Amino acid sequence: MHSLIQPNAWVAIKLPSGDLKVLQVTPNTTISLGKYGSFPSNLIIHRPYHLTYELEDRREPEIFNRLRIVPASELYSDIIPAESSTSSDAATPVPEEDAGTVIPTGVEYSLVDPDSGVVLAKTNRAELDASARQKLSMDEIEALKKDATGAGKDLIAKLMLSHTALDQKTEYSLAKYKLLKTKKYIRRFSVLPMDVPLLDHFLLEEKDPLKILDMRDEMIALLGCWANVHYGGRHRCEKEVSHVDDAQIAEDSEPGTGRWLVLDDTGGLLVAAMAERMGILYPSDNGESLQKYLGSQQPATRPKASVTDGGAGKQDASSNPSASAAKRESPGKLESLPDRIATKANADTDMKLASNPSLPEAESASLVKQESTSNAAAFSAKTDTAVCQSSEGKPKRHPDGRHRGDDMKVPYADSNTLTLIHANSQPNLTYLRYYDFDIASPTQTVAHPLATNLMTLSWLQLLDPSADTTYSAEPAVVDAEELKTWKPNRRGNYHRKRRRWARIRHIVDTTKKGGFSGLVVASTMDPVSILRHAIPLLAGGAPIAIYSQSIEPLTALVDSYSIGRRAAWISNPPEEAEGKTPEELEQWAGTEEFPLNPTLLLGAAVQTSRVRKWQVLPGRTHPLMTSKGGSEGYIFTAWRVRPAEGKVEARGKGKQRKRKADEQVS
Amino acid sequence: MAKVSPFLDPGVHTAQNGLAIVHLSRDNLEPVILNGEVGAADGYAEGRVINTRFGSFPHSTLIDQPWGSQIRASVVDTGTRGRKRKPDEEETAGVGSAAATPKNVKTATSGFVHVLPPTPELWTTSLPHRTQVVYTPDYSYILHRIRARPGTRIIEAGAGSGSFTHASARAVYNGYFSDSNGHMAKESSTGKVFSYEFNEDRFHKMQQEVEDHGLSGVVEVTHRDVYNDGFFVNGQSPDVDCVFLDLPAPWKALPHLSRGPRSPLRKDRSVHLCTFSPCIEQVTQTVEVMRRLGWMDIEMVEVSHKRISVLRERVGLNMPTERGSNQSAYDVAEAVQRLREVEGRFKEFHGRSLKMDVVDDVDMEEEGDANVTENGVNGSNAEGTTKPPFMLGRLIHRTEPEIKTHTSYLVFAILPQEWTEEQEAAAFEKWPCGNENKVIGSIGKEARKQEKREMLQGKKKKRTKDDNEGASAGRDAKKPKLEDP
Repeated sequence: MHSLIQPNAWVAIKLPSGDLKVLQVTPNTTISLGKYGSFPSNLIIHRPYHLTYELEDRREPEIFNRLRIVPASELYSDIIPAESSTSSDAATPVPEEDAGTVIPTGVEYSLVDPDSGVVLAKTNRAELDASARQKLSMDEIEALKKDATGAGKDLIAKLMLSHTALDQKTEYSLAKYKLLKTKKYIRRFSVLPMDVPLLDHFLLEEKDPLKILDMRDEMIALLGCWANVHYGGRHRCEKEVSHVDDAQIAEDSEPGTGRWLVLDDTGGLLVAAMAERMGILYPSDNGESLQKYLGSQQPATRPKASVTDGGAGKQDASSNPSASAAKRESPGKLESLPDRIATKANADTDMKLASNPSLPEAESASLVKQESTSNAAAFSAKTDTAVCQSSEGKPKRHPDGRHRGDDMKVPYADSNTLTLIHANSQPNLTYLRYYDFDIASPTQTVAHPLATNLMTLSWLQLLDPSADTTYSAEPAVVDAEELKTWKPNRRGNYHRKRRRWARIRHIVDTTKKGGFSGLVVASTMDPVSILRHAIPLLAGGAPIAIYSQSIEPLTALVDSYSIGRRAAWISNPPEEAEGKTPEELEQWAGTEEFPLNPTLLLGAAVQTSRVRKWQVLPGRTHPLMTSKGGSEGYIFTAWRVRPAEGKVEARGKGKQRKRKADEQVS
Repeated sequence: MAKVSPFLDPGVHTAQNGLAIVHLSRDNLEPVILNGEVGAADGYAEGRVINTRFGSFPHSTLIDQPWGSQIRASVVDTGTRGRKRKPDEEETAGVGSAAATPKNVKTATSGFVHVLPPTPELWTTSLPHRTQVVYTPDYSYILHRIRARPGTRIIEAGAGSGSFTHASARAVYNGYFSDSNGHMAKESSTGKVFSYEFNEDRFHKMQQEVEDHGLSGVVEVTHRDVYNDGFFVNGQSPDVDCVFLDLPAPWKALPHLSRGPRSPLRKDRSVHLCTFSPCIEQVTQTVEVMRRLGWMDIEMVEVSHKRISVLRERVGLNMPTERGSNQSAYDVAEAVQRLREVEGRFKEFHGRSLKMDVVDDVDMEEEGDANVTENGVNGSNAEGTTKPPFMLGRLIHRTEPEIKTHTSYLVFAILPQEWTEEQEAAAFEKWPCGNENKVIGSIGKEARKQEKREMLQGKKKKRTKDDNEGASAGRDAKKPKLEDP
């Protein structure tokens, strides 16, 4: 993951001001950073993340700015000398020494009085007109900005030199002033991979935090841990793909391992975070081997290209038109991976062509075509193999990686899966687009691990599937002969409908079977109502973690598992519960006194956590002065348990009433 | 690896020789390796027994139960075993082998526990403390920040009590690759924890624990002084993606974590690091060394975590006299009513002599009666007749009595990969510049408008083209988008 910046990868560019610019690195474009300048995207493709780049001045014939990697020693040049002096003599900063060393070498700052003891005293007395301090006028600064060289360093130096009160500043305020100007003018940036912590930071600080329920990093981390979300075991390969068939579902009673139930009202952020913990967020071979693969393709001459066509891409080579038709079939969708590889391959071959002009025109065109299709097919086959080894070498494969043979084959894995229950008819998973996944785009299935390991269903489909048309109305089977007479358009629709029905059938049936390894919730819905329906789906001992922006819904939830209520349920069960089996009691519908069956959960508790950031500078270490407010965020945790049958008497020391309290404290 | 660790996949039931967490109360958890062998052990006829204040639980009653089961206590003779064994050891053993089959263990009339599958969170609250423990709020945030995900490799220096070890093992686990097709899989693609411990005693305990918990495929414990001897394992680089240092002097270990020929870090990507130190002096020194060694994005934070207790605040004069209820007036009306009652009684006592005030008294009493009924409707207590006690009062929450105000300061940093002139030249060769055709990122308002205009124009053109070419293709393209989701 995230070794080098891949073409078309989503990245965040961190500017000196601390702002993030999120974009997709499209090859052969110019990336503009606003006032900090612009540079060609090709200059960061296949370069490392996290390095600090600086925009160089244009070299004469070139029409773009090259980038320079700023070494750490230069980045920290202001801090390190000061640090060495403070560490050498204790904590108290000695101004005489520091004032000289704070100023970086190379730029002349003769205005600063080296005898800063005097300066210190002056600052307190001097009452200066703030506007009069900077001698340079606005226009002059603008002009300087236009023809500034040295990535803005010259400009900063000039600004500081023409500051009238510079000699009256303390060393700290001088450092602060320089930092301020540096943030504003220095033409530097670094590129960060768009992973979940960064996405969360971006959404919280720069986009709309309300859309993700103000969920901070520490909350996401706690949720994942308390719900014990982790890689849940391998897909059962011998079975390859589940086949929707009622008899089979009944017989195949053992559910896979590591299935988590998730409710997400944060636009897909929670799903992304959980998927990251399970190792299914990033396309399986994280670009690295992809790059290797493309690398091996690079020197390919014609015979080699046809060799690669031999395997998965065999029938593609003969059906190039169909491949391009498939491409036409899905306009406007997010560029799916195979497509991207194809375009990349095109770019590669283009380059090759440029360097090898002797190749006849027609031949080279066909080369481009062949290579792109073989690339796409081979890639999809490869990702398949990563999910399940046996899918390779399937007789009938379509270039976009979908099965054409049997509509009733369901692409879902049975282990290490997330099942999302959503309140609207379609799930809102907007933010997954930063991970190249779009649940609404059927063509990219199989290429992305989420396509096989993320299942979505609505509450209606879960609780009353017969009322849902997608689930209940099976599209009539048409026999192959008649199908052949249909127009391709109509035939396609028929298959699509059959496949969709099979998919939803599979999802609903496996979900209703239950046995989930845990439940993660970040929702605005009432948690009591969620748990009423979700608890019976959980396996014994499964952890539950619920995030809420405010504490009130969670206190109400904890209260329905309070000591008093549990004791009352056991010693004096409500009328409605009389004579019911434990299985029936799991489906407890809820009364006013007992909104939930209080014996099904153990250890109901609420917690909160907040991270506080500090500034660490020599002699100036303290917590940051301001940070984000907003909703505090709380997490409810508990475990699903199975009560023993019959009446259970508590035990402990103390009086009868206290005993119960002791026992049930949890 | 024959068996998957119960931390990673506990299965459906508790199992013989498997770790289980016995839940007594929230802060009283007991980790047990279940051993249901028939026959006497420790002088118990029932085999191994867990004794708690909620009763005794022979292991045999805990095995082969679905996880999360509530287990009733059993009748176990705990009192006589110590006394009997000494004078007459053979006899006890004889009794044990004859009488102790799990079947005839009798269920006690009261007492129960729950048996839960082990997770790093439960383990952290129940583990035997050897050093300061890294608790869940800290380790969850650390693992999130240093990007410990399935398939990554992590250094943990200062294994300590092992709470972070278990959490990181769960985070990086992506399957064991040592069996069927194991040798095919590249070593470096499997998630792994490299744990280092300086103290020999703790090292042995840690090793035993990893073995017992079935984690030896994921965790490799090394007995090492990392300040002097670095992080290589068996002469090889562990090739890690992230590092966690829980050491008294992290700056002494940092020089071993730099780029170069003998680096334990993974070469082809950025490495994330976190140090965990309780004192601010340690932090300043660590950060200074980090800056010298070229670490980027250095950030120091502290995590403040609070557990919140939820309770019902029962205030009112008519509240049942129970623990936790406050027998004072619920509101002003109730207070006034009580005062009137007191006043009334006072007057009644002294009033016989003051006959003048009788008329006034009557008035007062009437008023008082009115108040009672009113209060009965609004007040908290009158509902007590219908509402059960657990629904009385107001639902409130407060921070628990004891909070951990400081655990440690966390310093995060990133070390980017090395990038040489040659690599840069090769990349520049492969991705030549100068033929850019579009601007992305922050573009001016004018440019954006122009772009939009062009896009609309293009769409219009395309539409007319589609119509000319033939309708079927165009429709084909649109329909799937509408219908399939």
